[in-house]
Amino acid sequence: MKAVILAAARSERLLPFTETRAKPMIRVAGRTILEYMGAALRDAGIVDLLLVVNHKREGIQRAFEHGHNFGLNIEYVVQDPIDGIGAGLRRCESELDGEPFLLVYGDVLATGQPFTNVLQQHGESGDAVAALSLPPSSSEFGNVYLDNDMRITRLVEKPSDPHLSNYVFAGIYLLSPTVFRVLDQCGNDIEQTYQALIREGKMHGTLWEGGWIDVRRPWQILEANRMVMDLWSRAEIDASARLEDNVRIEGAVHIEAGVVVSSGSVLKGPCFVGRGTFIGNNTLIREYTSLGPDSVVGYGTELKNCVLFGRSTLGRLSFIGDSVIGEGVHLGSGVTTVNVHRDWRPVEVQTEEGAVSSGMSKVGAFIGDDVYIGARHVLGPGTRIRAGAVVDDLITQPSLL
Amino acid sequence: MCGISGVTGTGNIVQILYESIRSLEYRGYDSCGLGVVHNGEVAVRKNVGGVEEVNQREHLTSMKGNAGIAHTRWATHGKVTQVNAHPHVSMDGRFSVVHNGIINNYQDIRQELLQQGVQFVSETDTEVMAHLVALAYAEFGDVEDAFLAAVKRLEGSYAFCMVTAADPEAIYCVRNGSPLVLGLSKGRNFVASDVNAFLPHTREALFMDDGEYAVVRPAGVALRRIADRTEVRRKPLHIEWDAETSRKGGYAHYMLKEIFEQPQTLLNALNVPRAEIEKYAQLVQDARQTYLMGVGTTHYVALTGQYFFSQLAGRLLPTVSADEFEDLAVVGPGDLLISISQSGETYDTRRAVAFAKAHGARTASIVNVMGSSLSMMTDDVILQGSGPEICVVSTKAALAQMVILLRIALELGRRAGRIDTATYKAYYADLEALPSVVQDALNERSGAVRNLADRVVQYRNWLVLGRGIYYPISLEAALKMKEVTYLHVEGMPAGFLKHGTLALVDETMLSLFLLPPVEEKVLHEQSLSALEEVLARGGPVLGFVFENDARAKALISDRIELPVVPRTVAPFLQLIMAQLFAYFSALKLGRSIDKPRNLAKSVTVG
Repeated sequence: MKAVILAAARSERLLPFTETRAKPMIRVAGRTILEYMGAALRDAGIVDLLLVVNHKREGIQRAFEHGHNFGLNIEYVVQDPIDGIGAGLRRCESELDGEPFLLVYGDVLATGQPFTNVLQQHGESGDAVAALSLPPSSSEFGNVYLDNDMRITRLVEKPSDPHLSNYVFAGIYLLSPTVFRVLDQCGNDIEQTYQALIREGKMHGTLWEGGWIDVRRPWQILEANRMVMDLWSRAEIDASARLEDNVRIEGAVHIEAGVVVSSGSVLKGPCFVGRGTFIGNNTLIREYTSLGPDSVVGYGTELKNCVLFGRSTLGRLSFIGDSVIGEGVHLGSGVTTVNVHRDWRPVEVQTEEGAVSSGMSKVGAFIGDDVYIGARHVLGPGTRIRAGAVVDDLITQPSLL
Repeated sequence: MCGISGVTGTGNIVQILYESIRSLEYRGYDSCGLGVVHNGEVAVRKNVGGVEEVNQREHLTSMKGNAGIAHTRWATHGKVTQVNAHPHVSMDGRFSVVHNGIINNYQDIRQELLQQGVQFVSETDTEVMAHLVALAYAEFGDVEDAFLAAVKRLEGSYAFCMVTAADPEAIYCVRNGSPLVLGLSKGRNFVASDVNAFLPHTREALFMDDGEYAVVRPAGVALRRIADRTEVRRKPLHIEWDAETSRKGGYAHYMLKEIFEQPQTLLNALNVPRAEIEKYAQLVQDARQTYLMGVGTTHYVALTGQYFFSQLAGRLLPTVSADEFEDLAVVGPGDLLISISQSGETYDTRRAVAFAKAHGARTASIVNVMGSSLSMMTDDVILQGSGPEICVVSTKAALAQMVILLRIALELGRRAGRIDTATYKAYYADLEALPSVVQDALNERSGAVRNLADRVVQYRNWLVLGRGIYYPISLEAALKMKEVTYLHVEGMPAGFLKHGTLALVDETMLSLFLLPPVEEKVLHEQSLSALEEVLARGGPVLGFVFENDARAKALISDRIELPVVPRTVAPFLQLIMAQLFAYFSALKLGRSIDKPRNLAKSVTVG
């Protein structure tokens, strides 16, 4: 059986990170979403993947090639123009050999193995199957009604009453080739296609009670990062990593090859330090920090609940908390992210649609790839900086002296 | 739910066939049988009971053959007899079939066949298939033609497997609405309701679709469409999941599966024949004294029943936990003991029943497992028909037992003149509406229940409080919490608070109130005043409240809102929400939900 992974769209909501990468290339706890997905599919015996790509596909292709390093066979289907899920799926039809297939949305991160449940339910019911999840907040999804046999009987909009909330589609489906007939009838509209399958009584559910998140907003990257790290139960330190004297390791700390941790540093797990990273003296790396590969962290810097994609330089005496930082970012010395308002009100983040509440009282900054921020800057809660931006050093100009 | 399987190979396949239905036993096990082709003849052995039990009686494993089919079933209700057990055979004995599902038009076909002189042995819908194929074979002289002609006559949802003396190495099978999967290996091939049947032998599975049939031979499998007999080309799937996952049918845990099965459980409890309910009412009526007895969950079921009998029939029945029965009960001739057990094997319950019998009392039981010790040793049995309950923690079985006790109490009340016909009918109308209410409530509230559980599981000490019938429901809710969350959760009568319990209340003691419907004015008032006592002491509270309960909603911010249902069935809805709450609490805490530490499903030792 093949799996179709939808990774073509450019997600406005995940800016600034999707400016320079496809959504599944978002990195949490040291790996891309696509790596997690590919590993789970492979473990479920699904190695033939059709990746529907367009936006920033070069990044995906460079990282995964044909998947052989990951135990997968990946073929790429370019969806141009990006004209919806149904149309993207349609482009895969000829590659699917008239067989049932898995359809996976590229922004879905599940911990554990949701795919075998879906395969198994398909085996038993013979029908289309949708994985269902019960996320803490399901405002953005359709709510599902199930009957005794786990047949989906209805799909409704999210009710406004907070005391009602059902299982929702988890972005993982098993569909038979007959879906293309239904897609035709529905003008390639995937939502209507699901509705039609449900009306025909041809869609079953399988409940996924493991970790699950649909990464749609920048702050959900932090949530996804926590979700993965919460399952870590032990420290893993590569033999080639060098920990100097007086380095303290607490809890599930993952340190990859070639990392150097200078003396006096404290690492509190769960946290992740990617390969080749250098950590200066007296650095404090606190829980839920994911520090990508080939980074440099200067003396006395504190990191807390943050995701750094990699190749970053953090100047001395900085503080990064509750923040997501893209690849190749340079932060000068003494940069501070302020991660909370004085009155602890939920932090709002500026987006293309205006300010959106994150619902969380602690949120720092979201900094795109290749940003340069000079020394001594203080970034307010919910700051968003687009990729490639340059914010000059906050220094007194020599001409004024 | 039934399980069917078939195996064909070179050499004797009977042991493998036998093991295949052993593996399907979780789908049900009140009767089973094997049909095997050997030396050009079809042999069938079948009987009532679990697979192992039937083997002991019928020596299934000493049969011989290269191709065979098997069946195991769990009858929800109705007669389980040897003749009704599968496989069924045609009059000439040359065609044998097993079936999972329902043939809607079997009465019409049966009438037609009767007129053609066919003699039926069983009362099943399945048997028509055997005769239809045999007659069509006489006409066409080709098994595949005959099989298809017969299939085309059937309306309904079904999966069939057939072996025949006319094609001794083949199994013919068809799928239309009931699951069927082919298992492929070298020199031996399989067909079954699910992959569990053949997982030890092959992991290459070919799932059949509705409207397809297959001819399975040792050398290979031909899969075709019924409509035009065109070959279906589908790649086999390599099964990566284990048997356990498969049995859970799409749920992460048996507990959640069984909670979600309760709409069906309710229907089955309502389908317990009225005659059986009337008989129990008669027994209670005739008895000098009637004891209700269970232990653990079933003790709380019995306590709930105690309220039903008292309030509906004006009879206060002593309700004694099985473990204390010998020390407390005064039983003798003329007394009746109604014992309640899911497994029917519980040591304490068996012992108490033996004690009552020894003292000359009459015994009756409500059990889920047919053929269990309790069902054999009591004078009368009601089988609740809830289907296998695998999670150690009982959910659906307890609910069904409560409904059955309610039905008996109603019947007794009607006889005693305390329940008029209109009230009696109103109760039944409410009960009959309940399954769909429960279904919707499970669908619509799961998210809210989970969110609430996620927020509050950090409390180590809990009280569950209720008044009236919500008191035994509170006890059961607390037991569910204890069993799966390992937290200290105690059920208490809400009226007890100021008589001592209140001393426990502080900011670390969480009180969960099960509030009755608003229409139960007195009970509601009393519950709210207990709630206010806790609030006044700064104790954190949770509430399961009905949607129209404005007063409770104003007092409790952490709450689950339940749809408004008639007061008659409200306790059941509270119970189901408490089960779901316990499940999500345990999930959040990462407990071993289906097999909690230190606990076993049926406690068969003293």
